[in-house]
Amino acid sequence: MRFDGVWFRYARRADWTLRAVDAAVEPGQTIVVLGRNGAGKSTLLQLAAGVLRPQRGAVRERPPVVGWVPERFPADQPFTAGDYLHRMAALRGHDPGQADEWIERLLLTGHTGTRLSDLSKGTAQKVGLAQALIARPGLLILDEPWEGLDAVARTLIPEIVAEVTATGGMVLVSDHRGEIAQLPGAIHWSVADATVAAAPAPPAPARDEVVIEIAVARAAADEAVVRLRAQGHAVLGVRDVTGPRPDARYHPGATNARNAAAGSWNSEGEQ
Amino acid sequence: MSPLIRMRLAGFLRGGRILPPAIAVLIVLGVIYGGGASPASVAYGYSAAALFPVLAWQSKLLLDTEPDGQRRLARVAVGARTEAVAGLLAAAALALIVCVLAMGAPWLFHGIDTKEPVLSGTLLGVLAHLLAVPPAIAVGALASRAVTRGARNGVAVLVTAAVLVVVLGLQGSFAPWLVPPVMATARALNDVTIPPVTTLALLTGWAAAWCAAVFTAYAFLRRSRS
Repeated sequence: MRFDGVWFRYARRADWTLRAVDAAVEPGQTIVVLGRNGAGKSTLLQLAAGVLRPQRGAVRERPPVVGWVPERFPADQPFTAGDYLHRMAALRGHDPGQADEWIERLLLTGHTGTRLSDLSKGTAQKVGLAQALIARPGLLILDEPWEGLDAVARTLIPEIVAEVTATGGMVLVSDHRGEIAQLPGAIHWSVADATVAAAPAPPAPARDEVVIEIAVARAAADEAVVRLRAQGHAVLGVRDVTGPRPDARYHPGATNARNAAAGSWNSEGEQ
Repeated sequence: MSPLIRMRLAGFLRGGRILPPAIAVLIVLGVIYGGGASPASVAYGYSAAALFPVLAWQSKLLLDTEPDGQRRLARVAVGARTEAVAGLLAAAALALIVCVLAMGAPWLFHGIDTKEPVLSGTLLGVLAHLLAVPPAIAVGALASRAVTRGARNGVAVLVTAAVLVVVLGLQGSFAPWLVPPVMATARALNDVTIPPVTTLALLTGWAAAWCAAVFTAYAFLRRSRS
């Protein structure tokens, strides 16, 4: 997809919000759009989605199926969350039941009977995320997707982004909360002074880390993720655990943490 | 397209926004048929003219029911053209239902004089309503928030159009062609004798040309206004 000399302003006499934007997104790429408030990040994303139409230039080679998650989900609608998502699936020409996969995955099952206007901000945002994903978009546009989401849902976003790009899709995401560290390999664009420029990627932290798997009661998952993050740990994912929990063995004699971690779920090691 | 039409109609009906225009329709019908029985063509001619501003208002309300953000989501989901056309078709479906009910209502209250020709009068009435519905939707669409971007501008467009349709539609108007032939149709039907076919063809062509011009303007404006 290419921005080909794109100019955009919101009114005839207004200043240009974006001027002569030339940029390209290749299949499989994730673009993180950075910039201060009001710089034009959302405008750029809406131009990419086809919500806005440039006054000059064009956005070319846009994939046919686009999923757009607006910064604020329009919750003032007389539908329940389940009814809304089923209708949005039908709108895209899919079986309404196709929405159920995303209802489960985004942990919306308990909210399907709740009216959109009665949902909390974060849950409404999840509905916004679900409607964009139902049609398996070739271009996924996420405008501040972390806004209002709980810890579990936040960890899902990098997973979803990875799934879209793994199938050759493109992802554009704006972020001002510094969550971009969770999108490794993303390319950074900076929006400032009505122009878009490639921004240097923030330096990757030196990695000397181990992976520890921890089982947490489902009800305590949110709190655990938040506390681990607060302590500076990177939470890589949250998944369901089925079957009996294996015994974990920690190796106090291990010479370094890496060895300890490697044996941390070893249920058959020492007798 | 039909899931989007159904979604918009459901939103309009469930949200309760249909109530004000529904009450307005009842008031209009009460005024028209409260005074006794009239020949079918005369009654239906006036009914179509009187319903015109209500149908335009109802169309604007229906198009404005959806939050701007949801309209944009629909645009991303189905494309700009389908999104715009689906809104107009939803408004048309509702307007036609209102017209059917409005044409059936006088039979409940003996508002139609059965001593005069009923079949030809009813068919002329159907034509009168069919000539009023598309222009009403066109006016409602031009007044909708997607085009006017604000409640005040929308009301101004709606009221101005409704007043002009009456004022410029009066007999001897200096520019009757600027407005759809709503008043001209009512006048043509204000007699028990069937108007000549050429008159009906002229009225139909006039309405079609007017609607083509206004819907083209709507399509042009919606290209850049999401």
